[in-house]
Amino acid sequence: MNKRLLIVNRGEIAIRIMRTAKQMGITTVVLQSARESDALYIQQADEVISVNGSADEKPIFLQPEKVVALALEYKIDLIHPGYGFLSENPDFADLCREKGIIFIGPSPELIRNMGLKTVAKEMALTAGMPLVPGSNGTVASAEEAIQIANSIGYPVLLKASAGGGGRGMRVVDKPETMVRHFKSAADESRSAFGNDNLFIEKYIANPKHIEFQIIGDQHGNVIHLGERECSLQRKHQKMIEEAPSPSLSDEKRREMGELAVRFSKKIGYYSAGTIEFIVAEDGSYYFMEMNTRIQVEHPVTEMITGVDLIEWQIRIALNEQLSLRQSDIQLQGWAIECRVNTEDTQNRFAPETGFIERVLFPEGSGIRIETGIANGSVITPYFDSMAAKVIVHDSNRQNATAKMIKALDAVRITGLKTTIPFCRVVLRHPDFISGKYTTRWVEDNYSPEMFYNEDEEMIGALAASIAYSMEYNEIASNSPGFTNESMSMWVLNKRINK
Amino acid sequence: MATNYVYRRDASRLFIALRDNGKRFKIYLPVQSEPIIDGKELPIKIVDNSEFNYCFYWKGQRFHCVINGQDQNKYSILVNGVEYKYSIESLSSYLRQRILNKGEKAVSDSNIVAPMPGKIIDIFVAEGDLVNAGEPLLTLEAMKMQNEIQAPFNGLVKKIKVTASQSVMKDELLLEVISIDE
Repeated sequence: MNKRLLIVNRGEIAIRIMRTAKQMGITTVVLQSARESDALYIQQADEVISVNGSADEKPIFLQPEKVVALALEYKIDLIHPGYGFLSENPDFADLCREKGIIFIGPSPELIRNMGLKTVAKEMALTAGMPLVPGSNGTVASAEEAIQIANSIGYPVLLKASAGGGGRGMRVVDKPETMVRHFKSAADESRSAFGNDNLFIEKYIANPKHIEFQIIGDQHGNVIHLGERECSLQRKHQKMIEEAPSPSLSDEKRREMGELAVRFSKKIGYYSAGTIEFIVAEDGSYYFMEMNTRIQVEHPVTEMITGVDLIEWQIRIALNEQLSLRQSDIQLQGWAIECRVNTEDTQNRFAPETGFIERVLFPEGSGIRIETGIANGSVITPYFDSMAAKVIVHDSNRQNATAKMIKALDAVRITGLKTTIPFCRVVLRHPDFISGKYTTRWVEDNYSPEMFYNEDEEMIGALAASIAYSMEYNEIASNSPGFTNESMSMWVLNKRINK
Repeated sequence: MATNYVYRRDASRLFIALRDNGKRFKIYLPVQSEPIIDGKELPIKIVDNSEFNYCFYWKGQRFHCVINGQDQNKYSILVNGVEYKYSIESLSSYLRQRILNKGEKAVSDSNIVAPMPGKIIDIFVAEGDLVNAGEPLLTLEAMKMQNEIQAPFNGLVKKIKVTASQSVMKDELLLEVISIDE
């Protein structure tokens, strides 16, 4: 295919997109900024556009006009935005269309509508999607709130209309406490956002995050590729994802999948998209939102369906018909993804920046690595902390979990701390094994001590002692027969005899 | 010399690793055999090593250790990606510190005296040796009977107050051995 594709992204996703594009015979072009001029994705592209600019200004990936101007200058046919950055920016998609560049994704109108929560929810409602029950709009008084709560059932959540970040938010368990909570939520909302409008919805105590992958073309064909469970999150950041979900029956999967397809058809959706549901303990589920981009966790879906989502995004953008039918999609086995972020898991996931000295990922059947780092890579504070993803696929959930544990044990990264120890703890935890974890898991279970392991602690003491003994020569000079060489001999001896 | 004792004589191979949570490990690193940790010889294999990395194999698993940071005798080690901090001391500096902290008591506990009057026949240890509990330190002959005086605990021979063929009285100080086990 004689096309030129500009990838307006970086890291592992830029490399992931390149891999498929190259297989399709498309020329891949990436943007090189001064912030990470040596990054792995730059080394792997067919062409690199060097972007001048200081490290203080906004990254190039967030500047629509500049990107489009460069695309025109370099005769780009298609733009893939990846995830984050400009991927769900309708103005950017508009600008691309205006300048005759194909934006890989849905139309600007779809991006815009799905980005407006209230519009998206209204559209979902008309397509027969269940929404979290609640007041449709502002609640005037505590008395009205009690009336609504009585009809939808306790507990309920009071939320500031203008809210965000948990401010102006209260969980109310019973009518007796409504007046008090209503007042304090309204007060908090007023001081934080300048208005005290509250609305009320059913509070879902231990929710799961389950999302359906759909793909549609520009000719009205839409199918779904099953679901992903992404409940393992901290501060709304997913850490581990799996497909399928351990908590959906085949029947529920079909039902939710059909709803997702019906909704997508109704809004005329095309490209790859994700419909997020919140699932309550009793199995009831509600539409949350639709993401109009490729997701970080798309590989788990690819592993169990054998479908290359990036390839279909490109083909659909080029106006091809979707040749896959729903009946072609058979979910095979189980896939899990662990995100490898450069973070100090023992210190509440504080970001780690600096050099990756050495990195080595395992290889093997059913193991897939998506990485943006290599030996010597620099992790800067300018971008997010996700450095790589480890994805495994096996015949069932138990085998996939075991394979993931082995794969993570075999990852070698020196230089910076990563989230791998966290993933290892989770994968071995009874709540993960039973599949009963919810989005509250990290909040309820995290402690810096959760990484402690008696054997590792002792082995660490051994390593420190060897390092010390090698380091300090005065020990050698104080005692005949002890030299650094003899210590090296012990170590060497073991190495030879292993 | 008996060989079923865990410690060899060379005290410079014993290190005390103190974790930042107060937990302590006594680690003996022999030349040709597996390490001895807290008095137990453990079948830990070194699979790979380089300047800043050690990979151990034990209990059917690999343990990857990376030296994450070092400041004098303080080490930060990542074991399978999890950080543990230790300060490492040689046995002599550790014991010195302990005696300073505890005063005279520790010293008096370590005195080994003659249980009966007699004559020193043989001395098996030297000052600075590491000895195991039950290991013979010297032979004392009394009433034509040879008695082995054994180390009452794992310890370091600090002072030897007697010489071979010397006669001693009951309760006369023979050696000072400092316990390494507390």
